[in-house]
Amino acid sequence: MIENIKEITKDQLLGEAQNMMYQGYRLVTATCVDLGNNNLDVLYHFDKELKLQNYRITIAKGEEIPSISGIYLCAILVENEMKELFGLNVTNMAIDYGGHMLLSDDDLKNPMSRQQIVIEKRGE
Amino acid sequence: MNRTVIPFGPQHPVLPEPLHLKLVMEDEKVVEAIPAIGYVHRGLEKLTEVKEFTQNTYIVERICGICSVMHAQAYCQGIEAMMNIQVPDRARYLRVIWAELHRIHSHLLWLGLLADSFGFESLFMQAWRNREKVMDIMEETAGSRVVISCNTIGGTRRDISKEHLVKISVIADEIMEDMKQIEAAFLNDYTVKHRLVGVGVLTKEQAYKFGAVGPMARASGIAQDHRTTGYAAYGELDFAPVVENDGDSYARTAVRLKEVYQSIKLIKQAIAKIPEGEISVLVKGNPNGEVISRVEQPRGEVMYYIKGNNTKNLERLRVRTPTFANIPTLLQMLPGSQLADVPVLLLTIDPCISCTER
Amino acid sequence: MFDMLGNIMKNLLSKPATRMYPFEKRENFKNTRGQLGDIDIDACIFCSICAKKCPSDAIIVNRNEKSWEVDRYKCIVCGVCTEVCPKKCLHMEEQYKTASYTKENAKFVQQPKPEAPAGQSQEQKQ
Repeated sequence: MIENIKEITKDQLLGEAQNMMYQGYRLVTATCVDLGNNNLDVLYHFDKELKLQNYRITIAKGEEIPSISGIYLCAILVENEMKELFGLNVTNMAIDYGGHMLLSDDDLKNPMSRQQIVIEKRGE
Repeated sequence: MNRTVIPFGPQHPVLPEPLHLKLVMEDEKVVEAIPAIGYVHRGLEKLTEVKEFTQNTYIVERICGICSVMHAQAYCQGIEAMMNIQVPDRARYLRVIWAELHRIHSHLLWLGLLADSFGFESLFMQAWRNREKVMDIMEETAGSRVVISCNTIGGTRRDISKEHLVKISVIADEIMEDMKQIEAAFLNDYTVKHRLVGVGVLTKEQAYKFGAVGPMARASGIAQDHRTTGYAAYGELDFAPVVENDGDSYARTAVRLKEVYQSIKLIKQAIAKIPEGEISVLVKGNPNGEVISRVEQPRGEVMYYIKGNNTKNLERLRVRTPTFANIPTLLQMLPGSQLADVPVLLLTIDPCISCTER
Repeated sequence: MFDMLGNIMKNLLSKPATRMYPFEKRENFKNTRGQLGDIDIDACIFCSICAKKCPSDAIIVNRNEKSWEVDRYKCIVCGVCTEVCPKKCLHMEEQYKTASYTKENAKFVQQPKPEAPAGQSQEQKQ
């Protein structure tokens, strides 16, 4: 029951973001949801005068999605976070922390996506 | 021109929480700054997928210690919108009273930290001494000083009796008197003005472009306050957003100070208008669907995205806190400032890093 | 600068705002959630509702050996268990939990009641 939500494809993303910029919307945040059947749902939320406008993109894991940090510089933090926690493949970010913004080297990769964890026991 | 890189490390006496900045300097002036977070990442969003949706209230209010009541309020409002639950009137007014008390305590804490950052320790102690009155009244009415656990899905868990309401009103008057004494020290003192005026200017277009929220945006002239949309009994109270136009650190201090006065007036209006009745409604069933709920915290606008799939566990809970939106403004404000101004500037965005990294 | 003088004089001449802590303790308020108190073990029916609702899984209830155990270091003092208990045998105390040298759970076992005279159930801490 979110109002004002529009489904788009990932090719239309940059055009819609540019459109929002011209109309005077500000970026609130972006959300990533793991749908379970190897698909990820990415939602972008924009706001003008306390009314929200949302976009939804459904892509498969591993597909590339362009970054909107060329248009909205404040998107770098949230796109880095989505890349680290979910494994979303975002290209051309303005500042790229290389997978080390929130997680360190000995942490589990992509902890928030649904994945099978196999624990091996080496022989005694 | 030689450039040196100075790390403004995760541990610093001025910061309440760890935040790392790489400052590229030319001789005392900052040329570039890159923030880095990730020192207190606890993975709370994953934990909320494992616990039941009624237990999530207690996890969500521990995301931050300073703005904890509003986190629980946003979560409960989201789930109530998703399950079509109507909260009784008395509960809505009680939520307003506790939220405004929490806003006063958060702003007084910040005023003390700001005074500490430029070395004015006695003003820091005076602001925190005034804050003790608020903490005592929270303990007396709600049970705990900081994380009060009084919001629940369907209303509130505790009621405030008539004697306590009168006491809150009396203490609000005392806080107003105390604030008038330290207001002169913050806004009119010659040395304090030298450290704050003209430092870290953010114009109105830049604030909007970088997505600044809360007192940072209101100090640059954007009159946006989420409480005017009228959730939880704010629609029946009479107030206007506090706005300043200069956009520097002095304006941000003035906005937060005046918001303390605004909160005191809101508390008195709510106490005068609170109706009798029940405080909570029974909750049956499971949440299903998606909802977005937004609430005005002391630092800005917090956004919750909740998705349920008709079981006891939620499918996804996403929290975007106001400091997450305010950190990119550092990329604009820091270049061009002096090294000695960096701690003051960093504190004026009111960093709450444990909210940012959850 | 002279605005501050009134403030400075008041601060110098009034008594300090702090109290001398170990010698003078503050009374806790009446409804403070300090720690989870001891359970009234005779009234407990071992339904385990408190263990299911606890957000931090601090309560362990064993129906077969009739024991109820709480880990006070995991408890977040929220008070949900006291609200949902059907027999109302849990309550919140006002004193905060003090520090101790070892971390151990507080366990209560209900002893079976003896036959003819109305017996007392014992509580045993281990």
